Amino acid sequence: MNTAVRIERRQPSEVMQLKRLGCLHQCRLSFMRILTRRMAREHWRFTRHLFDINEEGVGRAVYVAHTPSRPYSLIAFAHDLPNEMRSDRVIAQAWDATFALFDGIPTPSDIHRLEQNVPFQEAGRLFESELSLSRANRSVRLWNHVVDALAQGGQPDAEHIDEVGYLMRTTAVYGSGKFGTADFETIAERNEMHAPFQAEMLSIYLTRSFVRDLVERVASNRGGANATRLDPVLARRLGIGNSTGLGMAPFLVHHPILFNNWIMVREEAIARVRALESASSEACDMFCDLIERSALSVEQWRSDHPVQIEKLTELRGDICRIKKFTSRESLRQDYPWNRLMTWAAGTLAGEGQEWLASLMLEPYGELVDGLASCMSDISRDASVINGAMSIKTARKLIEGSFGWAFDIDWEAKENCARAWYVSEEKLEPRLGERFEEDIFTNGSTNFEQPLAPARDAVAAYKTLEQWDGERTVAEFLLRYPEHRHSLRRAQISARAPYGEIHDNTISATLLPIDMLRAKLSFFGATHFDPRSDRWVRIRMYAGAPYPDELTAQNADFWVYPEAAA
Amino acid sequence: MDCSLNEVDLIAKRATRGAGYAWGMAEEAAKAARWLCSRDIDGSNELARLLQKGFSSNPTEHVPPDIDGDWKGTEILCPLMAGALLSDCAVRLKRKPVIMGRVALPTILIPFGANAARMLECNISIECEGKLAITDGIELSAPDAFPAETDGVAVKIGGVLGSLRSHCTRAHPDLAGWKILESLADKIYAPATEQSRLLGAGAGVSDND
Repeated sequence: MNTAVRIERRQPSEVMQLKRLGCLHQCRLSFMRILTRRMAREHWRFTRHLFDINEEGVGRAVYVAHTPSRPYSLIAFAHDLPNEMRSDRVIAQAWDATFALFDGIPTPSDIHRLEQNVPFQEAGRLFESELSLSRANRSVRLWNHVVDALAQGGQPDAEHIDEVGYLMRTTAVYGSGKFGTADFETIAERNEMHAPFQAEMLSIYLTRSFVRDLVERVASNRGGANATRLDPVLARRLGIGNSTGLGMAPFLVHHPILFNNWIMVREEAIARVRALESASSEACDMFCDLIERSALSVEQWRSDHPVQIEKLTELRGDICRIKKFTSRESLRQDYPWNRLMTWAAGTLAGEGQEWLASLMLEPYGELVDGLASCMSDISRDASVINGAMSIKTARKLIEGSFGWAFDIDWEAKENCARAWYVSEEKLEPRLGERFEEDIFTNGSTNFEQPLAPARDAVAAYKTLEQWDGERTVAEFLLRYPEHRHSLRRAQISARAPYGEIHDNTISATLLPIDMLRAKLSFFGATHFDPRSDRWVRIRMYAGAPYPDELTAQNADFWVYPEAAA
Repeated sequence: MDCSLNEVDLIAKRATRGAGYAWGMAEEAAKAARWLCSRDIDGSNELARLLQKGFSSNPTEHVPPDIDGDWKGTEILCPLMAGALLSDCAVRLKRKPVIMGRVALPTILIPFGANAARMLECNISIECEGKLAITDGIELSAPDAFPAETDGVAVKIGGVLGSLRSHCTRAHPDLAGWKILESLADKIYAPATEQSRLLGAGAGVSDND
C-alpha cells in the first residue's frame, strides 16, 4: 500500500453538526464488532451454566463467556409479565426478563443475592462483582408468532422476522458504576474490556442466546412432542432490539473527551483510507460486494417517522448513485477512495455520505482496527483547569469550538425554547419547553441541566472579552465561578477538537434523535427507527453468529446480510 | 453502605448544585469527593457537612478577594472554592506557599492539592493545626480527616510521603451524610407531572408491540 499523500481528517465544523451526527452508520470500529472479532480471535468458549426455566417460561439462567484471562457470566431472570405492565419507558416497574453481567462465575449465593435485586432494576442494589444491569421486553409482534409456529412444529415466517428483527428488546443497559455496579476504571485495564462498552456489548450478545433458548423452551412446553427448534438460519437473522430514550443524549455532552475519541478515531480511519494511492482488486471486490449486502440491509430498514422516511428515501437514491458511480474500473484510478469521498461530498445527502464512509473502511482492517484502542477515555487530568492560561488563549479556544454560535441571538425564544432537566421519576433526563411548562414558567431555573454548552460558552466569551487578555483564567474564575464549566470545556477542546456538538442543543428545532443515533451508531446499531423526536428503536447483533457458530470467518461482516441464494 | 465511585461523583455534583453552587463548582465537588473516597476518606460526608453551611448564598465572602497575598475571606473560607482556586493557581506554589486563614472542612482541600501536585510534578504538603497531608497527586499520606474547622492552612511544595492511604475502588459513605446529599440533590429534580411524562420524554406512541 502506498500512503504517499496526507489527507487531513474532516473538520469538526463539518462533522459535528447534529444533522450530520444524525446520519452516522455503524462501521468496523463499532463496539459490537470490536467484541465479536476479539471473541473469535481469542477463541472464547461459551457455556450454558444453568437453565432453570419452568413451563411458563419463568426462572433463571446463567451463560458463561470464558475469555483467555477470566470468565464473565450473564445471569438472566425470566418473569411472567402481564401484558398491561409491559412498557419500554424508563418509568416501567417490571419487565419480561432482567439481567446482570457478573465478573466471574456466580455461586448459588451470588445468584440468590442477585435474584433479590436484579428483577427490581433501579430499585435494587448491585456490587462491584456486577458489570452491567439490564432488562428486556418481548416484542408482542413477533414473540407469539414464533412460539406458535415452533409449538406446532413449523417455522416462523421469514418476512415477519425481518420486519421486526428481534424477539426481545432491551430498554436499558446500565454499567459504569450505576446502581452499584463496578466503575469502568476497575476493568479498563483488562484487554477485553478496554474498548468502550465491551461489558454492555457482551451482556447483550449473551442475552441474544438466552432469548433464543427461552423461546424454544416456551414453545416446547406448549407444543410438547410436536414442537421443534428455531431454524438456525432464521435465528441468526434475529438480533436484540433496543428502545432508547433521552437518557443517551446528555451522555454525549457530559463526556466530551470520550465522544471526541469516537469521532476522531472514525475520522482518522476515513482519512487513512482516503490517502491510499490505489486499491487492490481484493479490496475492490470486497467493497463492491459489501455495497450490495449493505444495500439489502437498507432495503429491509423500516420506519414510520417522517424524518427517517425522508432520509431513507434519500439514502436509497444515493445508493443507486453510488452503484452507478462506483465500478471496479473507477476504483483502479489513483486515490480511488479520496475521489469517491470528494464526489460524495458534492453529490450525496448526509446519510449517503456517511454510509459510504463507513463502508469504505471495510477492506482495510489492518489499517484501521488498531485505532479501537484509542476510543476509551483514560485521561486522568483532562478536566483539571489550567488556571495559568491567559484570557487571550481561552478566548481563542472558545472561538474555535463555538465561533459558529456567536451570531445566534440567545435571547430569542426559538433559540432557547428547550431546557434539559432531570425528572424526580427514576431521575430520568427529559427535555422541556422553557416557555410553556409549569416547571420553568414559575421563574425557577433550578431544574436546568448544563446541557447547552454553546449558549454558556458564548456567555462566558462575552465576559472574557471585557478582560485584559494577559490576565489569567484563575483570576477570571475567582470572580466568575458561573463560567467555570464553560472554561473547562474550552480547555478540553484544545485536546479534543471533536468533543463539542456544533449545534444548538436547546433550539426549538432540536431533534434529540440525532444525538441518540450518533451514539448508537458507535455501538454498532442498525435499523434506526425513531418513534418520536426523542425516542428511537434499533437492532443489535442481527445477523451475528451465535456463540456456538462464531469463527474467525464470520466474526466481522455479519452485520451485512447475505443475498438470498 | 457500599457504592461505586461514580455514584459518589454523581450525587456530589447534584447535591452541590442543589446547594446553590455553580455547575462548574459542582463538578469540582464531585471530583474531590470521589478522590477522597478512593483514598479511603469519606469525601461524601465531608461534602455533606460543608453544603449544610450555606456558603453559596454569599460566595464572595467565602473566598479571598484576590490571588496574591495570604488567602482570607471576610467570612470563613469555603474549601471548595478555595480548593478550586488552589488548583487553578498551582504555579503560584513555585514562588511561595499559599497561606490560608480560617477554612471550613479543610479535608476538602486535599484533592485540589493533589491536582497541583500532578500539574507541578512534585509533592505538595497541606498543613493544618499540626496535622499534615502529603500527596504526589496519586499517593496520599494523611490522617483520616482534618478538623471540622481550622484557623489556618499552609500549602506548599515538598514533604515526604509517609504511611500511604490505601486506594479503594468502592466508597463506604456515612449514611446520614449521604441522606443529606440526596436531599440537596432533590432540589434539582423536577417534579413528576403527566405533562412532563408526555412532553419531556417524548412518549405517547404505544411501546408495547
